Amino acid sequence: MEVASQLSGAYIPLTSVFVARPALKSGPRVLLFLLECALGILLVIFAAAVTHWSGWLLPVSVLLYLLVVVPTALLCGFWQAVTVSLSAIVVHSYFTAHQPAINAVADPANSLTLVVFVLTALVISRLSASATEHAKEAESRGEQMHDLYEFSRRTLQMNLHMEPGPQLADLIHEIFKVESVIVFDADLHEVYQAGYPDLDARELAQTVYYFEKSDDDPVTGVGRRVLRLGSVPIGSLVVRGGVTPLTNDAIASLVALTFDRYRAFANESHMEAEHRTEQLRTAVLDSLAHAYKTPLTAIRAASTGLAEMRQLTPGQSDLISLIDEQTGLLNELTTRLLTTARLDSQEITIHATSVGVAPMIDEVLSSLKDRLANNRVLVEMERDDFVLCCDRQLMHALLTQYVDNAGKYSSYGTTITIRVIQSKSEMIFSVLSHGPVIPLADRERIFDRYYRSSNSSNRASGTGIGLSVAKRVARVHGGHVWVTSEEGEGTTFSAAIPTTLPRKGLQ
Amino acid sequence: MKFPNLRILLVDDESAIRRALRPALLELGFQVVEASRGEEAIQQLRAGNFDVILLDINMPGIGGLETLRRIRTFAPRLPILMVTVRDGEEEKVEALESGADDYVTKPFSTRELIARIRAAVRRVKAPVPVEDTPIEIGEIRLNPTRRIVTKRGQPIHLTRKEYDILHFLMMHAGRVVTYSKLLTAVWGDAFREDVEYLRTFIRQLRKKLCDDPANPTYLLTDVYVGYRFVDPQMFQESTKYESEDPEESAESLLEGLSAS
Repeated sequence: MEVASQLSGAYIPLTSVFVARPALKSGPRVLLFLLECALGILLVIFAAAVTHWSGWLLPVSVLLYLLVVVPTALLCGFWQAVTVSLSAIVVHSYFTAHQPAINAVADPANSLTLVVFVLTALVISRLSASATEHAKEAESRGEQMHDLYEFSRRTLQMNLHMEPGPQLADLIHEIFKVESVIVFDADLHEVYQAGYPDLDARELAQTVYYFEKSDDDPVTGVGRRVLRLGSVPIGSLVVRGGVTPLTNDAIASLVALTFDRYRAFANESHMEAEHRTEQLRTAVLDSLAHAYKTPLTAIRAASTGLAEMRQLTPGQSDLISLIDEQTGLLNELTTRLLTTARLDSQEITIHATSVGVAPMIDEVLSSLKDRLANNRVLVEMERDDFVLCCDRQLMHALLTQYVDNAGKYSSYGTTITIRVIQSKSEMIFSVLSHGPVIPLADRERIFDRYYRSSNSSNRASGTGIGLSVAKRVARVHGGHVWVTSEEGEGTTFSAAIPTTLPRKGLQ
Repeated sequence: MKFPNLRILLVDDESAIRRALRPALLELGFQVVEASRGEEAIQQLRAGNFDVILLDINMPGIGGLETLRRIRTFAPRLPILMVTVRDGEEEKVEALESGADDYVTKPFSTRELIARIRAAVRRVKAPVPVEDTPIEIGEIRLNPTRRIVTKRGQPIHLTRKEYDILHFLMMHAGRVVTYSKLLTAVWGDAFREDVEYLRTFIRQLRKKLCDDPANPTYLLTDVYVGYRFVDPQMFQESTKYESEDPEESAESLLEGLSAS
């Protein structure tokens, strides 16, 4: 029935490239056509015979013919109905050849009746055939809609832990019953195939992607689509057979969406895994730090306790202060390594508040007073009531680092100048000290982690971590750090912090 | 200075630390009793009299803070010193607000510990300050009835809030007053978070007291915990051996930050 209606010519394929290519299956269709016509003709002959023997009048026989033609048109198709109705005329003429009363040739009225019959038959056939077509078309559309719905449902349920490409190719092949499917994932640079294998699948898919060319070829029945997210191409899809361009578009969108969902999901799980690793690392470091604290505390308490207990000889006091000092150093090292690990392991979120610059500098200086005992410290601020919107703890750390550094590397008795200048959009903190000049090569790398200037390594204690902390602090505030060092002018470490904290990019 | 017959309770789950502290404390005349858990410490406190407690914050079981709270329910004036770690600023604040007298940070020196014990014991033995009695600490004298502050006999003009801050700190001299406690006392509960506000006032106050803000002698800052008004002479003794590492403390801030 379906085949017949296709053959009837009235069938308007849903512009399907594949269905319009009935080359291979034409044999059986012709046979079916002939069979249907033969059956119709037989019925017509039977009707004509009955009329003839019963001696019925022409209108009666015409009605009987119509009774045959109309079902033929409905069930088989337009051309079958035409064949049957024409054959009805021939058969009728044959049976009535010797009956002038109802002979069409003899009586013009009879001829008219027959002509009316043929016209009626043709119109009815045409109408019924087109009604059938519409029904079919609607049904086919409905099916495709259903397939699309099924496809979108299945893609939503898809396991995103695996690459989506092979699953998508299989799904399209299974649901839309197409000959072959090629899906190209440009991100992974992989081609996935399902159905009848194409030899040059990779080339085909990549060509579509690189030339960004979407089209449908009715001759070969191939639909090609560039997969896009917004306007960005992310892959391509080649489908051979059985699907309308509209459906192809829909499939392509769904595939693109699934690719996107996969990426988002992969990113998320990647981040989650990373986050978990970091949490673990921080937890391990935390417990390690606590594990270190106890022996350090015991050593320090014991050595300093010894000093409290009795009068010691100078040699003994010396040794005890050495133990104390080295314990302190070890403690400092542990704390610092822990800090950097934490700085590394977590994104710093900044808690910005309005911070009075002057009290903050006071606090820094007060906490560093022992380190600055050999220097004079000068604070120069244009105004005493500078307020900066920043993370106090972080900025405190930055300034502490700068000032401590200045104390460490400046010559005995020199002045350390802390200067705060407000420009239009930035507040610039600078710490000037006088000591050995930092070589140009070192200046560029001095803010790098674990980097220690070649002539500093054997002079002052340090871990090469502090300045990298300062750099990071400035950066999370959207600012930057730099250093200048000239003979005669001293060394200045500076940090510029935007006065208008950007809302974004605070991570 | 010796401490004849002062009974001290050492509460720490680490025997190494108790062992390290014990000989020096004995030598100085303390009677030392040890406990490895908070629960055990509470039992011993109920059983006998003690003059001071050294209580570790991080312990298995009910932990130092809970132990502190329980002790305070039956021994409100017993001097309690907490032992904390460097990145435990929040713990320190919590301990102080739960009634601890002071704290030391691991790894501490025995000298520092003893100085703090001495200060805490002395405070408890001293008469409770009455609102209206004049307070004299070092060169600074504060007369509450007339609201007058003098330094070396020279009057210092203070605003009302500055005076209130100074009065509150001097009444609690030697002890750390947490930011929120000070803010609540002077401005009221609604302002307990406005630390930045307080910092500006403290800066002004230091200026007026001629207390070098970069190297204060009276008005000390316990970074991220609070302020402490001290007698410079007494304080020098107690901090002589305390080698605060500023860089380290700055980084500990980062630590506290990233940990939060």
